[in-house]
Amino acid sequence: MTISRRVFVKSGGLALFSLGLDPLFLARAAYAATNRLTAYPPNRPLLVCLFQRGAVDGLNMIVPHGDPLYYRERPRIAVPATDVIDLDGYFGLHPRLAALKPLWDSKSLAVIHAIGSPDASRSHFDAQDYMESGTPGVKATPDGWLNRYCQHDRQHADTPFRAVAFGPQLPRILAGSAPSLAIDDLQAFGLRAPQAAARDRLTRAFEELYAGSATGLLSSSSQEAFQAVRMLQQVDPAQYQPANGAAYPRGRFGKAMLEIAQLIRADLGVQVAFADVTGWDTHVNQGASEGQLATRLGEFAQALAAFAQDLGEKLRDVVVLTMSEFGRTVRENGNSGTDHGHATAMLVLGGPVDGGKVLGKWPGLDPAQRYEGRDVAVTTDFRDLFAEILARHLGAKELSAVFPGFIPDPTRFPGAIRG
Amino acid sequence: MKNRVGPPLVPVLLVAASVAAGQRPALTPRDSAFHALNRLAYGPRPGEVERVAREGVMSWIDQQLTPEHIADGARAAREREFPILDYERGDLAKLYLEAQRERRERREAGDTSSDTVGAQHAAPLQRDPTPTQRRARRLAGQFAELAVARAIISERQLYEVMVDFWTNHFNVFLGKGADRFLTPDYVEHVIRPHALDRFEDLLIATAESPAMLVYLDNWESVAPGSSPAFRLPRSALGLNENYARELLELHTLGVDGGYTQQDVINVARIFTGWSIERPQQGGGFEFHEWAHDEGEKQVLGVGFQAGQGLDEGIRLLKLLANQPATMHHVSRELCERFVSDDPPDGCVDDAVGAWKRSNGDLREVLRAIFTSPDFWAPPAVGGKVKTPLEFVVSAARAVGADPDSNPRLAQLVARLGEPLYLHVAPDGYPEKQDAWVNSGALLDRMNAAVALAAGKLPGVSVSLDAIAPPTADAELLIAAVNERVLGGTMSGNTAQVICKQLADMSDPGQARALAVGLALGGPEFQRQ
Repeated sequence: MTISRRVFVKSGGLALFSLGLDPLFLARAAYAATNRLTAYPPNRPLLVCLFQRGAVDGLNMIVPHGDPLYYRERPRIAVPATDVIDLDGYFGLHPRLAALKPLWDSKSLAVIHAIGSPDASRSHFDAQDYMESGTPGVKATPDGWLNRYCQHDRQHADTPFRAVAFGPQLPRILAGSAPSLAIDDLQAFGLRAPQAAARDRLTRAFEELYAGSATGLLSSSSQEAFQAVRMLQQVDPAQYQPANGAAYPRGRFGKAMLEIAQLIRADLGVQVAFADVTGWDTHVNQGASEGQLATRLGEFAQALAAFAQDLGEKLRDVVVLTMSEFGRTVRENGNSGTDHGHATAMLVLGGPVDGGKVLGKWPGLDPAQRYEGRDVAVTTDFRDLFAEILARHLGAKELSAVFPGFIPDPTRFPGAIRG
Repeated sequence: MKNRVGPPLVPVLLVAASVAAGQRPALTPRDSAFHALNRLAYGPRPGEVERVAREGVMSWIDQQLTPEHIADGARAAREREFPILDYERGDLAKLYLEAQRERRERREAGDTSSDTVGAQHAAPLQRDPTPTQRRARRLAGQFAELAVARAIISERQLYEVMVDFWTNHFNVFLGKGADRFLTPDYVEHVIRPHALDRFEDLLIATAESPAMLVYLDNWESVAPGSSPAFRLPRSALGLNENYARELLELHTLGVDGGYTQQDVINVARIFTGWSIERPQQGGGFEFHEWAHDEGEKQVLGVGFQAGQGLDEGIRLLKLLANQPATMHHVSRELCERFVSDDPPDGCVDDAVGAWKRSNGDLREVLRAIFTSPDFWAPPAVGGKVKTPLEFVVSAARAVGADPDSNPRLAQLVARLGEPLYLHVAPDGYPEKQDAWVNSGALLDRMNAAVALAAGKLPGVSVSLDAIAPPTADAELLIAAVNERVLGGTMSGNTAQVICKQLADMSDPGQARALAVGLALGGPEFQRQ
């Protein structure tokens, strides 16, 4: 509290009235007053969340090649058993996910199948919203679950890069009162000017303006901002070379994964990172071993594999979680594609993962076992997996505050993180 | 106690709420004018503080409360440059059908990207939009820019502020299905005509609006067991409570407004059958008798007889609009917008009192807030941070910007974190600063300020001459920027920093642009 008092005294007089005693402000002020370049522990656990927007076909990503029903329901788009990369005799990877097989073999990759939302919505809009707010069925939740985690675990709020989303805007999952950064392009972050000297001068000028006259949140946020700019300048993103020969695929997603790796390797204090990967809404001509979905999966796997390779030793502290709003129909449709379904598969990857396993209760593909006779039934609530990762990997304590209306029960955790 | 005005001030204001501002001990006429222009308007244009101070701030407020008497030719002329306003809902519905047809064709050709909704991505993620999608996107960008342009140009400033307030209170999401095409109709024909009307009429207009019926799914809510005249997708057959819940929680009573889950269900039953025409027919409001729950219902202890059809929905909306919980909830939101993020009870009570006396006449409710002592008290003055829209519009006004239909300023608002018509959740963008003041957005404000002052935003012409002529005299320049951009709030530190930056600049034009850019991006200008 001495720190915040100092800030209050400094900002003086009338400002006191308008500030109020907002706890977030106090937390940020405390951070701002104590910030040091490396205030966080060196082995701190990190979480990278990736959203496959558009609803990925879990059945062609992690293929139940041991089930004849899979082949019966998908005469044109099933991945032939001879092409599938077998995992456990029943499930296997789509051939374009081959780059992930070494991670499976080293037990750094786990799959959770038949996972999804307890809400029945087949609307992309609603289902994405629920998966990011963490409150299926409740639309008015103002913030995202990843942000609520950051709100409730303030211990780590010691760097502007603590929670970072790659993209033009902060996604719903990170919306909320805990500070988080949206970075569209790491190289363009900060003040912009044609020459480096002009940029540095402008940066210093604004830093002086805010240091001298800003109060309240404007003061703490600006300190975070200028610290972030300084930290990035030392890292020099333009010069980044991936380590260990890692080769990221071209395109938005590969670039996002490269920049996440870069921030992590630079030790800037990232704790949670988020990125989107799009193009999964395969209603028509989805393809099988080759085709549209195969192309998307290829880029996806290459980027994940490059990320793991780039991080090297550092992967020890990192968990990557993939998610998608729902799965797709078991039976192919009349256009050689699949329509909006229910459960899908998610991947968990990284050093702390209890990998080499397909987790979750498999409901089977028999029409009687399906949801409404057409979709893979949900046997794992997505919140069970998210809660497990927050609790066992990041050490979160207040799970019920992160997932309001949900009672986290460790006996229902799928077991993705090593105990 | 924390936010109440000290005793000497209260009697003065209570006795003479409409007395010339100069008699208030706390604020000079200029300070009062600056404060009112920051809150009832999107900040002053150069010279406006002096003009309002001269006229008398209370007289200016009275004018703003009757916008129909304020000439607004510049806005009307500029609107003609926005072709989106020539589109009726029916035209947009046709565009929607066309886009759907193209999407189907695309799918058949095997493109997966066109259906992907990035829930918070205005910026479409798809690589190759169809021609109609491209056209729709251009229109959407233009429509967002129209909101910014009106806010900058219009003389009816309070009216534009209220349009934004209600658009946010009755939020819809432009990215959800048909709302991509229904949102312009919603803003033009639902929000704008009622922005300073009676709350009840505004509420009924939103309830009947196709955009809201789509956004909160009520269009597909049907009484269980009812049988339509035509085939519907199976998922559409059932009661949908989304609109009912948000109507009670967000639009009217508020989350602690004393309703039960059973009330939500009964409200949903009352609105069964409130739906929309098919796009081929124009996509307007349509009541489906066959889908309506004909049973008896009870909401908040009030009975609704069986068999009243459409009328019971109207009766319910009137009931909700006039509940004390609604008056309190909405008045508090208005005070958060106009007075403080955490408004004192006094101004909220004043607003509720005016609401009761005037049967929800929004002009009277607002008048009560602007004459409340809390509005003029020291904690309120400069006590709020500008939202992204408020920042962009006030900066543009400060530099005399004249935007065209190029969506550049709307993109800037989006970049700062609050893209127009693209808030996903029904609660609208939060008013409280801690939800959106953050380091990344702050850096973006600084960049925007420098670019705007330097005239580097395409489609936005600026005239800094209204602030100061190009001059080699740094002191004169800084004084002008303080007076005309910052309303005299420039701190000694800011003056020093700007002075230091100007020291080695030889080009007076560049020096002026830098001084204005630093002022707009600096801490004083972020406050209001």
